[in-house]
Amino acid sequence: MGEGLASPRPLGESRTTRLLLIGTALAFLGIFLFVPLVAVFVEALCRGVGVYWSAVTDPYAVSAIRLTLLVAGIAVPLNLSFGVAAAWAVTKFEFTGKSLLVTLIDLPFSVSPVISGMVYILLFGLQGWFGPWLLAHDIQLMFAVPGLVMATMFVTFPFVARELIPLMQEQGTDEEEAAVSLGAGGFQLFWRVTLPNIRWGLLYGVLLCNARAMGEFGAVSVVSGHIRGLTNTMPLHIEILYNEYNLVAAFAVASLLAVLALITLVAKSALEWRYGGELSRGGGS
Amino acid sequence: MADLAVTGPLSFGWRVGMLNRRSVLPGFGLSFGYAVTYLSLIVLVPLAGLMIRSVGMGPAAFWAEIASTRVLAAFRVSFATALAAAAINTVFGLLVAWVLVRYRFPGKRVVDAMVDLPFALPTSVAGIALTTLYSTKGWIGALLVPLGIKVAFTPLGIVLALTFIGLPFVVRTVQPILQDLNIEQEEAAFSLGATRLQTFIRVIFPALLPALMTGFALAFARGLGEYGSVIFIAGNIPRVSEIVPLLIVMQLEQFNYAGATAIATTMLVFSFLLLLMINLLQGWMRRRHG
Amino acid sequence: MSIVASRIAKRFGSYQALDNISLTVHSGELLALLGPSGSGKTTLLRILAGLDFADTGSLEIDGRETLGLSPRERQVGFVFQHYSLFRHMTVFDNIAFGLQVRARRDRPSKAAIAERVHQLLDLVQMEWLADHYPAQLSGGQRQRVALARALAIEPKVLLLDEPFGALDAKVRKELRRWLRRLHDEMHITSVFVTHDQEEALEVADRIVVMSQGRIEQVGTPTEVYDTPATAFVFDFLGNANRLEVEVTDGRAHLSGLALDLPIRLAASGPAIAFVRPQDVDIGKTVEATMAPAVVRSIVTIGPTARFELDVGGHLIEAVVDRERSRGLDLAVGDHCGVRLGQVQVFSRSS
Repeated sequence: MGEGLASPRPLGESRTTRLLLIGTALAFLGIFLFVPLVAVFVEALCRGVGVYWSAVTDPYAVSAIRLTLLVAGIAVPLNLSFGVAAAWAVTKFEFTGKSLLVTLIDLPFSVSPVISGMVYILLFGLQGWFGPWLLAHDIQLMFAVPGLVMATMFVTFPFVARELIPLMQEQGTDEEEAAVSLGAGGFQLFWRVTLPNIRWGLLYGVLLCNARAMGEFGAVSVVSGHIRGLTNTMPLHIEILYNEYNLVAAFAVASLLAVLALITLVAKSALEWRYGGELSRGGGS
Repeated sequence: MADLAVTGPLSFGWRVGMLNRRSVLPGFGLSFGYAVTYLSLIVLVPLAGLMIRSVGMGPAAFWAEIASTRVLAAFRVSFATALAAAAINTVFGLLVAWVLVRYRFPGKRVVDAMVDLPFALPTSVAGIALTTLYSTKGWIGALLVPLGIKVAFTPLGIVLALTFIGLPFVVRTVQPILQDLNIEQEEAAFSLGATRLQTFIRVIFPALLPALMTGFALAFARGLGEYGSVIFIAGNIPRVSEIVPLLIVMQLEQFNYAGATAIATTMLVFSFLLLLMINLLQGWMRRRHG
Repeated sequence: MSIVASRIAKRFGSYQALDNISLTVHSGELLALLGPSGSGKTTLLRILAGLDFADTGSLEIDGRETLGLSPRERQVGFVFQHYSLFRHMTVFDNIAFGLQVRARRDRPSKAAIAERVHQLLDLVQMEWLADHYPAQLSGGQRQRVALARALAIEPKVLLLDEPFGALDAKVRKELRRWLRRLHDEMHITSVFVTHDQEEALEVADRIVVMSQGRIEQVGTPTEVYDTPATAFVFDFLGNANRLEVEVTDGRAHLSGLALDLPIRLAASGPAIAFVRPQDVDIGKTVEATMAPAVVRSIVTIGPTARFELDVGGHLIEAVVDRERSRGLDLAVGDHCGVRLGQVQVFSRSS
């Protein structure tokens, strides 16, 4: 990590310049990252633990937490399966249209979350293409859990694939070919040779995917319908509480998500630190 | 699919998903088929639906929805604030990356991890936290009142939220490049008599330029589409601090699907142009750094 | 367990990697595929292993048509150039892998697998490293594990792709002698790919010299070295002086100098003559059947001395041992005599 550069040497900035640059960078990060994070916890606890506790155990809050877990619990494993399949196809084979596929996988990152939700309304909403048919068969996708899941899947779609593709690219196909020459079948090959090599990268991708899935706001907001206790995920619940000027409750629920974010960051850093060599370089962002 | 060979009378043009080289590894058909089906169902078909709908509107109706002063003002606000935030992030992102790569100081590892906070923290949480901090009664907002600066519920608030959201992009794009930068080049410049500042401007900065531009473009693209963190702090005053994504949501809530479609499609076109640009920039970056 | 490959061809796009290769590997022999990079030797080896697909041709291993079989059905042991050890498995697990992935009814018991692995560890002299991970091993150790892993499945034939390519010079020499001894004990039909002619000459029973997707010559090390079939083989197998000559009446002429040579070339016309530096004889004076020359440089390398001689405007390299060099007592600029022995002449087209 450039440790060698920290010691004084002819090439490098003067001590004053160094301190000034470090100071400015830390001040910037402090004001923009640290203070807002602290504010969430301070605001949540400013009326005491009792008020905090009743805010997070409020039935609507609890149902929002449940819904968030449910949606992430469906969307993340599905995107995991996609990520593994896409990475396998892209990194172990040469085929026409490969770079197109890789570009398309990244597409959701460049679409506004609001549009990510909206496209489903246009398909499955009442005025959507399949709206009348769904209505006739009494199936409701929008403003219900399936809609939340679809919007979340769209938004978190690239995470796992994006982490795995560069990682598996670096690893090449040598070990898989060796396994084939030793008589391993397809499933054994993946389970015993490929998976152990990519497990930490996979976990890393799942972690990021999950953080985004639980915290997604814009896409989910569009397809939710904001029905309390039914289609409100935690981020949406926060919005409602905030707009009702119930700041303590809003920050209390927000603090749960902030804790999730912190856990994600700690786990991510731990993975990078411990298994840095087994993660792809420059992935994850 | 894996059993087809490319040679033969049918191998004209390019056929997507055709193996260029047979492989002994199993599962191409399954993994490719699954990935493409999944991608189509979740991403491509819904996006195509939006595009088809907007084409179906006809250019006149499309233009009528876009050309209102309110919509145009929203585009102006979105672009201006996203540009400003991306510019701020480029300057400070370079600084943060530099400090993290080149210097040693206590708590460096924690600071490094914290840079990713905006990726991990849900946008609505960031939104309400920033709004509370920068309102006239908030910790920071109250300090700015005597200076005559109002942040919350003004375009400045939007820039603030977008700066938060886009902060990791420049840092994380520049950091690995800076890490791999060959120190010998700097030593060479130094031995040829260049000052530290000259070395930075003439040797280091040009090497970082592709990464900086990529980071800038990524932060800008993210800022353009951002919704959650902005709506709380923006105040959402039409023609002043109303962003495009909010306008889309409002049209949807009023069941004006035509309006939402037109605005969203315009937005999407800009996003795709940006994506194309980012891809070109990354190609440039790869050629530079191998 | 012989291997019979006939008329194997393989293209990559417009590039002809293998051009109708026919080759027989005898049971129990150690055969080297020798050639420069791009000669198709690795592609051929991978086709034998089933890791690549031939466009046309047929392949029999042990009398059984094999091209349609998957690698797991072929029972071929393959040793990869960069070892390709499973990095998350210990040495023990790496070697056991091929036995563990067998279908239940063919799979030996745990105890039998352990016993087999330990036998192999013993064979490759690595018993004490069973619990180590590949990252903890040296290059030579990794290659021996890779070999043990390939042998674990009791292969009918053993294929090795540049087995010593990634090792440093000293380990390389040790390991190839060890491999030769191992082969002498086990007598498993083996094919190895190399671009190092010294390695092929030292280790192999027979050598197949390849160039541009074709076989140039097949023969024992002595045959290919002493009687190269083509100019390419001569050039590739060891250092050689390359001289452009003119052939008339069964004699080769090197601009003015008549060389009295055993010529296998009937046709007259421009040709290329090869002569190895150690077959160039130097005389203190111009003796009979010698041509006059001038010493341009003398470099002593260990036990030998290398002379660069100007023979009528052609630079010819000669290598003599140090004793002889001392006896000659020549210095740069001195006049001397030179005699070319063992000259091979090939027509220009080959």
